[in-house]
Amino acid sequence: MHKPSEWKIHALVLAMVVISEFIGIKSFQVGPGKAVLLPMLYALVIGLMLGPKFLRVVNLEEMKLATPFIGLSVMLLIAKYGTTIGPSVPLLIKAGPALILQEIGNFGTIVFAFPIAMLLGFGREAIGAVHSIAREGNLAIVADMYGLESPEGRGVMGVYICGTLFGAIFFGIMAGFFASLNIFHPYALAMACGVGSASMMAASSGALTAVYPAMAKEIQAFASASNLLTAADGVYASIFVAIPLTEWLYRKFGRKDNVKRAAQADLAAGQEGK
Amino acid sequence: MVNWRDTLKILIIVAGITLVGNFVGFKVNPIEAIPGMLVLLGIVILGLILAKLVPFKLPSIVYISLIGIILTIPGFPGADWFVAQANKVQFLALCTPVLAYAGIASGKDLDEFRKLGWRIVVVSIFVFIGTFVGSAFIAQVVLKLTGQI
Repeated sequence: MHKPSEWKIHALVLAMVVISEFIGIKSFQVGPGKAVLLPMLYALVIGLMLGPKFLRVVNLEEMKLATPFIGLSVMLLIAKYGTTIGPSVPLLIKAGPALILQEIGNFGTIVFAFPIAMLLGFGREAIGAVHSIAREGNLAIVADMYGLESPEGRGVMGVYICGTLFGAIFFGIMAGFFASLNIFHPYALAMACGVGSASMMAASSGALTAVYPAMAKEIQAFASASNLLTAADGVYASIFVAIPLTEWLYRKFGRKDNVKRAAQADLAAGQEGK
Repeated sequence: MVNWRDTLKILIIVAGITLVGNFVGFKVNPIEAIPGMLVLLGIVILGLILAKLVPFKLPSIVYISLIGIILTIPGFPGADWFVAQANKVQFLALCTPVLAYAGIASGKDLDEFRKLGWRIVVVSIFVFIGTFVGSAFIAQVVLKLTGQI
């Protein structure tokens, strides 16, 4: 075991950035839509591969050391977003009603994911899993209301982990795909890009900009304004609407035996994993 | 959060890496992009200081966004200059280092992920689609109704 080195991490990141930017943006056809792959997604995948499970370039200590650097590097990105919102403030005010009301669309997660969770036999895990997009704030609320060891806590934790690992990749591909389908106006899609974490927004608005380069400024302004709103209202939306609503749905539609089956299935899956 | 000296050091390192990526990916001469990067660094540092000083708790990124917005809002003294400088630092170039660090740090979650089972992965996918489509749908309807598109 060698001492974990901060410089090794920065050097790796520099190399990853150079390789990823050198490859550049690639897009390919998926059915009726187009998927856009961005350099940031290559960097994410290379990073995931560096761990002890695959390439063994970094150890657990170094992975932990890298964690606070995410928060710091994201600040420069947020500053950049601020500078893209500013010049578009007149446009944002005109689109104000849409920007504010689309926040309600975040409850779309319940509409889409709750029935699926019930079909798959989830118990109270469903409440944690489907009530929100499970970013840090939502995680904190569920931890506070139910505890992270509870079924609800396991549910929110599961979506949180999936989002951390694959959220950016999924959002990038999803945004590019919807853009090429031409159902929604690029402005509406841009607002939808802001519903999750900063990296989800970066990947999806980046993909959108690759499809509509002429509207790059407006797309970034709408995406970051929507993200800022979500950051401000997400926690309250969870406490006052999303969690009570999923609780109610669960009482109404949740099957009593689901709770037991889900617990058993999780136990079995856990043992398989080990 | 680590201390101020470390914070500043890491911000400068990330800024340097970004300028390299900005050059490789977007062919922007790093010397030309330095003023823009300094503007962004300045916004971050001001935001962090404000987050410390203001008595009610809000995440520091809220202050950082707000300062970025105020400096570049049309009519603010020097707004055009700030925008012109910040535009030399491509937003995609700023994203790549963030996700590179996130990739390294998240490698440890892969083990957790293996224990989750496929059902939660399926539900997660519907959570992402549902939030995205829900938001896009309402935005589309309201933009149409208010005659913006």
